[in-house]
Amino acid sequence: MYWKYVVRRAIYGIMMYIVMIFVFSTLFNSVADSTMRSQIDEQVAQESLGWKNLTPDQRDAKLASRRADKIRQYHLDDPLPSRIFFRSIRTLTFDFGNSTTIKASNGDRLVIGIIGEALPRTIVLFTTEVALVTIVGVAMGLYAGRKPNGLLDRTVSMLTMITNGLPAWWLAMLAIMAFAYNIPIFPSGGLHINPAPTGFAGILDYLWHLSLPLLTLFFLGVWGTAYLVRNIVLSNLQEDFVMAARARGVGESKVLFGHTLRTSMPAIMTLAILGLFSSIAGNIIVEGIFNWPGIGNLYFEAVQQNDVPILMSTLAIETLLTMVGFVILDIVYGFLDPRIKVGGTA
Amino acid sequence: MNLRDGLDGLRDFWKEFSRVKTGLVGLAILLVFIFLGVFGRWLIPFPDAMKHWQDITYWEDNPQSAPPAWTNWFSAKKGVPSSVLARPKVEETKGDNDVVIKAFTFDFKFTYDLAPKDLIVKMAGDGPIPAKIEIYRPDGTGGEIWRDQLNLSPGQGERISLARSASDGVLGFVQSQNPDIAATIDPTLIKPMTVMFTKIAPDMETNPVALKGEYRIVVTELVPSSDYKIDTPSIEVSGHVSGILGTDKSKRDLFTGIILGIQWALIIGIMTSVISVVVGVFLGIVAAYFGGAVDWILTRIYELIYLLPVLPFLIVISAIFKPSIWTLIILICLFFWTGSFKTVYSMALQIKEETFVEASKALGSGSWRIIVKHISPILLPYSFASMALSIPAIIVYEASVSLLGLGDSTIVSWGQILQAALTQGAVINNLWWWVIPPGLAIALMGMSFAFLGTALDKILHPKLKTR
Repeated sequence: MYWKYVVRRAIYGIMMYIVMIFVFSTLFNSVADSTMRSQIDEQVAQESLGWKNLTPDQRDAKLASRRADKIRQYHLDDPLPSRIFFRSIRTLTFDFGNSTTIKASNGDRLVIGIIGEALPRTIVLFTTEVALVTIVGVAMGLYAGRKPNGLLDRTVSMLTMITNGLPAWWLAMLAIMAFAYNIPIFPSGGLHINPAPTGFAGILDYLWHLSLPLLTLFFLGVWGTAYLVRNIVLSNLQEDFVMAARARGVGESKVLFGHTLRTSMPAIMTLAILGLFSSIAGNIIVEGIFNWPGIGNLYFEAVQQNDVPILMSTLAIETLLTMVGFVILDIVYGFLDPRIKVGGTA
Repeated sequence: MNLRDGLDGLRDFWKEFSRVKTGLVGLAILLVFIFLGVFGRWLIPFPDAMKHWQDITYWEDNPQSAPPAWTNWFSAKKGVPSSVLARPKVEETKGDNDVVIKAFTFDFKFTYDLAPKDLIVKMAGDGPIPAKIEIYRPDGTGGEIWRDQLNLSPGQGERISLARSASDGVLGFVQSQNPDIAATIDPTLIKPMTVMFTKIAPDMETNPVALKGEYRIVVTELVPSSDYKIDTPSIEVSGHVSGILGTDKSKRDLFTGIILGIQWALIIGIMTSVISVVVGVFLGIVAAYFGGAVDWILTRIYELIYLLPVLPFLIVISAIFKPSIWTLIILICLFFWTGSFKTVYSMALQIKEETFVEASKALGSGSWRIIVKHISPILLPYSFASMALSIPAIIVYEASVSLLGLGDSTIVSWGQILQAALTQGAVINNLWWWVIPPGLAIALMGMSFAFLGTALDKILHPKLKTR
C-alpha cells in the first residue's frame, strides 16, 4: 500500500519534470538558435581565411554551402517542434553537451564538468547556511512559541518582519562595506587569497573567506525560520491533546518536546527539506556580490553570454532537485502521517 | 450589504486594528510613503529629474560622489554645500553708442574649511558679449580672474567653470598680492578655487588656511548695442557635500532618486500584489467550484509554476525580452498568484457546499454569478493580509532584476540606484550614502507592508493570536 503510493508519487514527479524541461526548451529555443547561428557564421568565417585561389563568386558559394552544411549538422533546419523536442530529450537524458562560451578552470567546455566545479562551492555555502538556520531557527522558534509575547518571541516577530523585505544582496553589500573595508576583518570576496595556500592553512583560508557570506545569510534567514516554527508550535500548543497532557500533570518541557515538537514535525520537515534542496540553486546575486563562484554566479554568467546549454542544464538540475525535494517530502509525509496516503490522490 | 453595515464593519475593523501596535506603525510608515510618492515631485530639488535621470548634462553642475550636507556636523574640516547663487544685485551703466555695461554682484558667505570644488558661472543671452568675472575677498583683496568674449545665441548659453578656466587670472591675482609666493606656484598645477578661498601665505598650496567671510563675485557683461541682450547670470557652487543624501558618481542627487523611487515601488508592489491575489482567489474559487477537468488543469498549472525557480526565471526572461516595467509586473504576477490559490481553493471547497449557494442555485443563478456575487466577497477580505504580505517580496524581486541591469531603465527605481552603486564601485570606495539609503528604503517599505499584513492576519485569522 505504502509502496504503491511512493511509486505513484515518484512517477508523477518525473512527469512534471519532463513537462518543465519542455517549457524551458521552448523558452530558450530562439536564443539558442540565434547564438548557434552566429557561432556557425564565426566558424565558417574562420575556415574561409584558409581558402585560396577562389573568385569572389566561388568564395560566396562555398561560404553558403559550408554554412548550410553546418546548419544541417546542428539540426537548425529542422521544424521548430522537432528542435524543441530533441533539445528536451537531450536534457532529459542528461546529455548536456558542450557549453558555447563558458569554460571550466582546466579549459574544458563540458557542461557537466563546469557545473560539477561550481556545485560543491554553492553547497558548502548555502547548504551549510540552511542547515545552520534550520537548527538554530527550530530551537529559537520552540522557545519563542513556549513563551508568547516574551522577549525572544517579540524579537523574533519583529526581526522577521524587518528582514522579510530586506534584500539579501543589499545586506551583503553593507557587510562587505563594513567588515571588509571599514573594519577589515574579513576578505571582500572570492574563495581564497591569491596564491592559494595549501594544506591546513588552505582550509583556514577557505573558512575565513566563507565566514562573511555565511554569517550574512544566516543572520538574514534565521528569523523567518524561527517565526514559522513558532507559529507551528503555537498553533499546536492550543490543541486539545496539549491541554489534556497538561491536565494529566505532564511536565512543561515534556509537553514541548514530546507532544508539541512531535506533532509539529511534518511541518518542520517541510521547511528543512525544501530549504536544503532549494539551497543547492544558490543565490544568483549574493554569489555575485561575494564573488563566490558557485551555481548562481555561473547561471548569471550564462545569462549574460547567452550560453544556453549551461542555462538549460543548471535550470534542469535545480528543477530536478526541487522536484526530488517535493517527492521526498510527500513520501516522508505519508510515512509520518498515514492519513495522507489513504487520501491517495496527492 | 448596505452602506451603513459597511461603515459599521469598517468601524469595528478599525477598533480591532488600532489595538495592534505594529499594524499602526506599518500604516503610519506607509502613509508617509504614499504622501511622498504622490507629492514628492514638488519637494525634490530637481523637479524634472524623472525625465532626465539618465541624462548626464542635466546633472553636470552637481559635485561628483559628494556626501550628504549633514556630514559636516561630524567632520573636522567643513566642506561647502553645493548651492546655486541667483538674484544678484544689478548695476547698469550706459556708455557711448548704445553700449550698456551690466555688473551683477553675487554675495557668497564662505564659512567653511575647504574651498568649493568649483564655481560655475552660467551666462545666457544673444550676441557677441565681452564679459569678465571678478572675486573680492573678505580681507579687501581681490580682482579680475577671468575675461573673454562670449558668443551667445538663444538656447546656447555658456557655462564657465572657474576651476578650469581661471588659472591664469588667479595666478595674476597672487602676483599682484605677493610676487614671491606667486613665483613658487607651478602655473600648470594651480588650483584656482583653493587659492581664491585661502589666506595668502608661503605654504598656501600645501597647507591652505581658509579665508572665511563675505565674498563678492562680480560678473560684468558688456552689451554692445540694443540689438543684443543678456539674461541674468547665475552661479552654481559645486561643493564637497550636497543635499540631503549626497550625490552619486554621475553627479545625480540621491535624495531626488530615493523620492522618485517611492512611487515606482508602490506601483510595482501594490499593482502586482492586487492583480496576483485577485487572479489567485478567482482561479482558486473556479477550480474548487467547477472541480473535474478545470480543477485538474488549474492544479497542474499551479504545481508547475510553484516549482519554477522565480528569480532565475525572471532573470532569463528579462535578459531575453528586455521587458518594460509593466511587462515585468505581469511576469511577477505570473508567479505570485500561486500564493493565495491553495488556501482559497480549500476554503472555497467548503463554501460551495453551504446552503446559501444551494439556495442560489435553486433560484436559478448561473455558476459565474455565484462565484462573483456569493463566494468571492466572502474570500476576498481574507486575502487582504496575503496581499500586504506578498508586497515586500515583490519589491525585492523588482529590485533584484534591476540590480542585475535587466530592469526598465526609463524609470527611477531603488534597484537601479543600487545597480549603479554596485557597478561603479560605491562599496569599494565606501560611498555609504549611495548604498545605504536605497536599501533602507526597500527595507522600510517592505517592513511597513509586513507590519500591516501581520496585523491584518492577526485580525482575520484569529487562530494565530498569541494567548
